[in-house]
Amino acid sequence: MIMSKEHSIFNVDSEYGVDSRYKTTKEREYDSVALMQARLERLKNLPKEQILRAKLVQLKLKMENYLKEFIYDNQNHFAHFLESYVDVIYSKRSEFAKDINVTPVYLSKVINGHREPNEEFILKLMVHSEKMFKHVSVFESSTWYKIYFHEKLCDTMSNEDRWRPEIERQVRLTELIVQ
Amino acid sequence: MIVVEVLTGMSHPIEVLPVENTDYKSLPKARYAFDWLEERKEEIYKLVLKGQRDILGLVSIERIPSEWRIHIRLLTVSKENVGKGKTFEKIVGNLIAFVAKIAIADFGEMACVSLKPKSSIAQHYIDKYNMNATGITLSIEVPEILNLINRYDHE
Repeated sequence: MIMSKEHSIFNVDSEYGVDSRYKTTKEREYDSVALMQARLERLKNLPKEQILRAKLVQLKLKMENYLKEFIYDNQNHFAHFLESYVDVIYSKRSEFAKDINVTPVYLSKVINGHREPNEEFILKLMVHSEKMFKHVSVFESSTWYKIYFHEKLCDTMSNEDRWRPEIERQVRLTELIVQ
Repeated sequence: MIVVEVLTGMSHPIEVLPVENTDYKSLPKARYAFDWLEERKEEIYKLVLKGQRDILGLVSIERIPSEWRIHIRLLTVSKENVGKGKTFEKIVGNLIAFVAKIAIADFGEMACVSLKPKSSIAQHYIDKYNMNATGITLSIEVPEILNLINRYDHE
C-alpha cells in the first residue's frame, strides 16, 4: 500500500500537525452540545479550591497582559485589580484589611480611587500575594509595583499636552551642549 | 517558557507572538504541514526562540465566548522538529499552554481549550496533556488546564 506523503509524515510524530477545523455547521453544533454537556457534568464536581485557583490565575494573566500594553482609558487599573484580588479571596473586604493590618476605610478609599496607595500598602499587598500564589502559580513579587507605575506612566504620557506647557515654562538649561 | 534542544539538553527561552503579514512568505506547506496563507483571517500565533525570527511552531485558534471555549483549528511544528531527529522538544506543549492562558484570562474557571486530532493520535494528547475525550473531541479544563500552564511556565 502506498501512503500519501502527508499521511506518512503525520505518522512519524503525533505532534507534527493537527487539523481540527470544523468541516460543516452540523459537525460544529453537534460537538458544541456534546462538549458542553460533558463539561457541565465535570464542573459539578469541581472543588471550590480549584475555582479559586482559576480565578487567581485569571487575575494574574490579566495583570501581565495589562503590563504589555500602553493603555490610557481613564480607568483606575491598580484599584480595579486590587478590588478583583480581594473579592476573589475574601467574602468581606474588612477581613483582607485585617490580614494586612490596614483600616477598612483606608482599603475602601484605595479601591474606590479616593486615595493613592502608599508604599507600605503596596509592600503588604506584595507579601500577601506571594503567600497566596505560592501554591497556585508563578507570581512575580514586583507585579503590583509594576501595575502602579505602569498606570502612572501611561497616564502621564497620555496627558502630556496638559502638563507640558506649564512644566516647559519652569525648566531651563543653563549649560547647553553645542553641536 | 522554554524549549529543550534534544542534542545538548540545553533550555532555550521562547516567546509566542501573533503571526504578521510578512511571515506568510516563510511558511511553506512543506515545512509547516498546512497552507497557512489560507488561514490568514484567523487568529494565528507563532513560537520562536526569544529574539529570533525562525518559526518553530504555529497555532490558529477560534475564540467561542458563548461556550467559554477556545478551539484549536490548526497546530503544527516545523518539519525539522518532527520525529526522532527533532531539534527541539516541547514546542506543541508550549503552544497549547499559550492557548490555555488565553482561555483562562478570558473565561476564568469556565475556561476550555478544545481540539479534534485524528483518532490515531488522540491518545497521545490525552496521555501527554491530560485531556478529556468527548466523542472524538479532546478538551482541557480546570483543573488540568491550570496544571498545564504551571508545567510550561515553571520549565
